[in-house]
Amino acid sequence: MPITRRSFFRYCTLSAAALGLDRMKLRLLSEALANPAAPSVIWLIGSSCTGCSVSFLNRISDVPGQPADVADVLLNAINLVFHPTIMGAAGETSVAALKRATAKGNFVLVLEGAVPTKFGGHACVVWNYAGQEVTFQQAVQELTAKAIATVCVGTCASFGGIPASGSNPSGCMGVKQFTGRTTINISGCPANPDWVVWAVVQLLTGTPVTLDEDGRPSALYGYGFDGTTPEDPVIHTKCPLNPDNGTILAQSFGENGHCLSNLGCRGPATKARCNKQWNGIGGHTQGQPHPGHWCIGINAPCNGCVEKSFPGPESFYEPYPFNP
Amino acid sequence: MPVITAAIDPITRIEGHLKVEVKIDTVNGVQQVVDAFSQGTLFRGFEKLLEGRDPRDASLITSRICGVCPTSHSLASVLAQDAAFGVGGDTAARTAARIMRNLVHGACYLESAILHFYLLSLPDYIAGLPMAPWLPGWDVGRRFDPATLSRFTGNFVAAITARRNAHELGAIYGGKLPHTPGNIAGGFTAVSCQADKDAFVAYLNDLITFIQTKHIPDAELLANLYSDYLLLGKGYGNMMSFGVFELDNAPSPQLLFQRGRLVSGNATVQPVEVAQIVEQIKYSWYTGPEVNPAVGDTVPQYPKGDAYSWLKAPRYGGVPYEVGSLARMMVNGDYSNGISVMDRHVARARENLKVALAMRDMLTPRGALGHWLEVGASKITKYQVITPTCWNLSPKDSSGVRGPMEQALVGTPVANVDKPIEVLRVVHSFDPCLDCATHVTRAEPGAKVYALGAISKPA
Repeated sequence: MPITRRSFFRYCTLSAAALGLDRMKLRLLSEALANPAAPSVIWLIGSSCTGCSVSFLNRISDVPGQPADVADVLLNAINLVFHPTIMGAAGETSVAALKRATAKGNFVLVLEGAVPTKFGGHACVVWNYAGQEVTFQQAVQELTAKAIATVCVGTCASFGGIPASGSNPSGCMGVKQFTGRTTINISGCPANPDWVVWAVVQLLTGTPVTLDEDGRPSALYGYGFDGTTPEDPVIHTKCPLNPDNGTILAQSFGENGHCLSNLGCRGPATKARCNKQWNGIGGHTQGQPHPGHWCIGINAPCNGCVEKSFPGPESFYEPYPFNP
Repeated sequence: MPVITAAIDPITRIEGHLKVEVKIDTVNGVQQVVDAFSQGTLFRGFEKLLEGRDPRDASLITSRICGVCPTSHSLASVLAQDAAFGVGGDTAARTAARIMRNLVHGACYLESAILHFYLLSLPDYIAGLPMAPWLPGWDVGRRFDPATLSRFTGNFVAAITARRNAHELGAIYGGKLPHTPGNIAGGFTAVSCQADKDAFVAYLNDLITFIQTKHIPDAELLANLYSDYLLLGKGYGNMMSFGVFELDNAPSPQLLFQRGRLVSGNATVQPVEVAQIVEQIKYSWYTGPEVNPAVGDTVPQYPKGDAYSWLKAPRYGGVPYEVGSLARMMVNGDYSNGISVMDRHVARARENLKVALAMRDMLTPRGALGHWLEVGASKITKYQVITPTCWNLSPKDSSGVRGPMEQALVGTPVANVDKPIEVLRVVHSFDPCLDCATHVTRAEPGAKVYALGAISKPA
């Protein structure tokens, strides 16, 4: 049975109704989808490991009104015209599709990976079209100027990240630093798929996104998900391993459920909602469908991968000097 | 008839940035590839940006060489650290760590194989889903009747879920995928419990069913319906495996896939001596002497002469070798049908099952407990990670000898030079992972202790 966009959407509508869904959001999405004038999404990859795209493919959610998994996102929420890791076309056919979709400026630009500036930008070439080689640097400059909005997925695109660290051999930097233009930064290494999907849904439903001083949505890195309840986002404050909850400080690896401050944890200096938010339905525990996981949950110290300073020159395994 | 140059840039449905240029001519009445150039178009310089860091950071940093096979990098890194720190002994703690490392790495093998066959390769043969980004595609060379097409499309959709579940599986012990922080020098951070093991087995059993009922039959059916591709894309036929999945705690442990080499035309497995590896750079954007990675450096130079790739040209004893699933399975004696585009897909599917079943065997009742080994006061000052993937997509070496994939492309027929789908099918059979290919970690100068972590990874 061939799967059409419409039939899949009908399936989602029915199951959403059973969940007591937010009809307003679903209607907005459906309108966005049906509207021939709805913006396309162009996803471009630069100096990147592709981890944020892989993370995006790991999307799983049971939040009413939001796409359940990546198939749902691609079938019903966005018109993803260009993504080098999954798209059908290659070479000039793929670039032609991008040029058609971006010609009139009616697109949302998603950028993954840092912008390398050494070697005339040739540390990252994104395509060859009509005999012309185009670097990521050139594509970013041109497309951020035309896009309705630019979403930086991952710490590399947001702030430079690991390729920009140490001696920065290719002259990498974040997109905003390179272009000077505002970007919506969904930082993380990788970015959590729920954060990415949330941001794209806000854009497509015309909901304004408030950004913090690092260009990250306050709702994801500063407040509760409903955008209204102020909630201390610092990992350490709500961490189940916080000694305030009766645990002790771990002295070495191999201990289970002890605070990891001595072992390098950057939780006290990191703002993100990570607790049980990875590779599962966020917040679900064992026994529930698709339980979520996280670094601290496997006794691995937080390495602050959402922060502008990540990775920094400091050791990941010595007490972090910037913990308050 | 003039020779036609066709360039595909970007090659999509890979990891990283790749341009493939082919020269096409008509030979004996057949339009086909007569020369090929594999061009890595991304450079980040991991080996340089690692300098000056706490060596223990290497597992977390090298993980970011690639987001499709991050666990292999972080694991190779801690294997090197273990060797340098002198981690050893046959203890319950080491067993627990080894099992958890294998289980998380194994989960990533399963995810990678499913992703590769269904999401990265199958769109060369089917349209995928009837919308962007799968459309527009190159609607050429499609042979499936409606029933077969429906089967593959349905399994394509099921694979989207299956590969996600493979990462959910790995995250039970790995915490976060991609980029698990679980691998550390001396062991693994997680402490297991029965509930973890039960959850792991439940996910794993579903994946084993997927591999047995969909992945393997689909790969075999594809090979059947495109049987001409059993005769295409061979390359030189030299195969190499660094070995993977330690099965015991011995200093030279038994491996699920043994380390070894097969020289084309010779069925006897040869040993792998790392000292035989040299990285040649005449056609690569680097300068410096051509030496074994252990004593070399990485100095980018762009532009440079006739260079056309950010990948170096690794050669073993001066000879190009193919690595990957087919190589592993052949070296291990688990596959002997042949070397071709379709043999790669079928071997990968069968390897997938072998890995999944081995993972289930590792979950014995006695299994994982807390672990950690006390690391001595000395620090690692030097380490090296060799990634096999550079081998497949290497450019020509300094003698002008093509890399394995370049060679595999020669002789590939091309029906339509504007839509060279045949080229794409050969390229994708290698499961290109360009981020891995560009980066080989170097030793820090002036260091005194040397340790090697060499491992096989999915791609």
